[in-house]
Amino acid sequence: MASSALQDDSDDGMDEFIDKFRTHKYKNAFNESNWEEEFEKVPMFMKTAPEEIDPKTHPELACLQSMIHDDDRTPEEQAMSLKNEGNEYFKEKNYKNAILSYTAGLKKNCGDQELNTVLLTNRAAAHFYLGNMRSALNDATAAKKIRPDHLKALVRGAQCCLELRNFAEAIQWCDAGLKAHPTDKKLQELRAAADKQKRAAERDARKAKAQKKKTRTEKEALLAAIKERGIKLMQHNKVRQHSSDSEDEDGGSARGLAELSLDGLSSQEATGAQVFLDPQGSLHWPVLFLYPEHQQSDFISAFCENSCFIDHLAVMFGEELPPWDTDRKYLPQNLQLFFEDEEKDTLYQVDPETSLLKVLQHNRCFVKAGSPSFIVLVNGSSFRTQFLTGKKVQRLS
Amino acid sequence: MLSDTEAVELLSFLKADVRPDVKGQAVEYILGLSSHRDGCQFLRSNPNFLVALVDLTSDPTADIVKNCYHALINLSADETLHQLLVTKANVLPVLFKNLLDPEYPFSDRICTILTNLSRHEKTCTTVFKVLQEDVGLAQLVEIFCTEGYNKKASLHYLGPLLSNLTQLPEARNYILDKDRCVIQRLLPYTQYQASTVRRGGVIGTLRNCCFDYVHHEWLLSDAVDILPFLLLPLAGPEELTDEENEGLPVDLQYLPEDKKREEDPDIRKMLLETLLLLTATKAGRQTLKQKNVYPVMREFHRWEKEPHVVLACEKLVQVLIGDEPEKGMENLMEVNIPEDVQEKLIGADAKEQQELEKEQEERRQKEGKNQVPEGMER
Repeated sequence: MASSALQDDSDDGMDEFIDKFRTHKYKNAFNESNWEEEFEKVPMFMKTAPEEIDPKTHPELACLQSMIHDDDRTPEEQAMSLKNEGNEYFKEKNYKNAILSYTAGLKKNCGDQELNTVLLTNRAAAHFYLGNMRSALNDATAAKKIRPDHLKALVRGAQCCLELRNFAEAIQWCDAGLKAHPTDKKLQELRAAADKQKRAAERDARKAKAQKKKTRTEKEALLAAIKERGIKLMQHNKVRQHSSDSEDEDGGSARGLAELSLDGLSSQEATGAQVFLDPQGSLHWPVLFLYPEHQQSDFISAFCENSCFIDHLAVMFGEELPPWDTDRKYLPQNLQLFFEDEEKDTLYQVDPETSLLKVLQHNRCFVKAGSPSFIVLVNGSSFRTQFLTGKKVQRLS
Repeated sequence: MLSDTEAVELLSFLKADVRPDVKGQAVEYILGLSSHRDGCQFLRSNPNFLVALVDLTSDPTADIVKNCYHALINLSADETLHQLLVTKANVLPVLFKNLLDPEYPFSDRICTILTNLSRHEKTCTTVFKVLQEDVGLAQLVEIFCTEGYNKKASLHYLGPLLSNLTQLPEARNYILDKDRCVIQRLLPYTQYQASTVRRGGVIGTLRNCCFDYVHHEWLLSDAVDILPFLLLPLAGPEELTDEENEGLPVDLQYLPEDKKREEDPDIRKMLLETLLLLTATKAGRQTLKQKNVYPVMREFHRWEKEPHVVLACEKLVQVLIGDEPEKGMENLMEVNIPEDVQEKLIGADAKEQQELEKEQEERRQKEGKNQVPEGMER
């Protein structure tokens, strides 16, 4: 009897039972059209958990949940479940929720210190992956306080310090860790990395300092050269609140130059050009030529102090006259140059054959906004007569 | 010296239960003996005194303990007493036990005694053995590297102790253990300004460790990166060209104007010797050449005044700028030549090289001169 049953390959009556369903639906069957939806609702077959668990739509899930978080259980058990919940979220890379679970677990304040250490360490990891380095470090520190030898906390703490670029502290964490776990590879790696980066950062600081010093020396040399020649820089009434150049150590020289560079930018023709000292020791100035007749101006970014005005004028008004010179009268030989002494309300006429240096050294010549400017008029023009009426004019001796 | 009866009486005063003032005076007398040769000889013949002395280190009176340690320092300076101290008097366990105590006021004296005892190989081996049993080298390094471990003692003499211990391969193997982080913790001390003793001890340790060339590649790699720590004390404030700067290890770039070199000439010599050891292998030589050690040595050579240090520098420079040795001799340590002969050979090589170059230069000049007359003759 038994053998024949085996040969039959099925139980008696089973075939008939199954055959019945070809025509009849079984009770509580899934609907053909929405069986997948229905499937999703069965806790065992769910692919993802719903954000909110509504007891009406997911009665089984709600039931399970209340079992897990049943307040009748001990704090340790609750904390343990919360830890597990957090770990599940962590695996799904849902770090925000993982943190919530771990936090809830810690709030239970259960007496199991081992568990609390793990909760803190895991939360630190979740924060770490979210990029919350400070929070992660705080958690690792708290874990270390409870269990000073806890390897995961020590590694995490070192990693956080490294990310925060606090290299000295990172090394301290590693050394503390290596005391308890002398052969741990991860700690050794972290220590080597922290040490290397620390030394690179120190080098960068030294480099920046050397650079700053070089810049400062150059600035001081420039100011000294200007002073040496007896050239006067006009101080501005308005003092800037913030100056990117002035620092504690620099003091006066920086302020002087700061005004030079900052005020140079405030002029209309500003290109950010500044007076500089060339390798041969000559100064080159940014110079403005003003043409009040036509409300025009020209800007020479680097006028060497040894050059004469006529050198530049010959080029500027040499081949082609500027378009604004409608009368075609601004020929180099007709031009007259003046600088203004605002204080004495006097115009000083400059011989174009003199060098810039000689003019700047005149005792009534003041360099305003770091850029010497000169008024250009045409000899014999009506504008010139008009312009100079009522003004005091002197020739440079 | 004392007669036999006097000796017996004196010994009886060196017991714990004796009146403090009598005990104190007896210890002072022993201290006196320990400070000269005859006294030491006497104590060598009467080792029971040594035993008593070690016992009295646990005396409640601080002055007595202090004098005991002073006496032990003196005694440990005498090599002939070493075996007696570590065997009959069994001083080591007492020393190590107290060394571990962060509150012990006499730890510095203990370190001095241990350094003395570990100077020569035979007793050093015993010291190391007991160290491993009672404390462990790991603990010793830990204590050494923990700032302020003992508020009452600087523990600087642990440096020379480590240096002495590393004359033993067992100690070196521990410090050079790739699976641990031991030597890395010692490296920063090559610039420890506060103590020449500590600094010298660490550098001595590093030098000893470099005798084993199998570790050179690891030592020069990023895992340890020993090179900058050896070079930094020898580097000065002189400015190098941009190109030279770029090739240097990070720690030596953009050194400030007030950079000072190592003050102690013996330590400078040790550093140079260590660097020379690292040139034993081809890979080591390449690394040192690549990392621009030569420009640093060039400036150092200009600055150094002490002749014996200059010589050590020149030996190193010789290897850095010299040609690679022939096949089969690439590892300078594996070539079986006794050291003094080797030195002579290197010196002879250098001289030969110089003379060779001189000859070549003269020949070149002669050819240059002959060129014109020959042409004219034709």
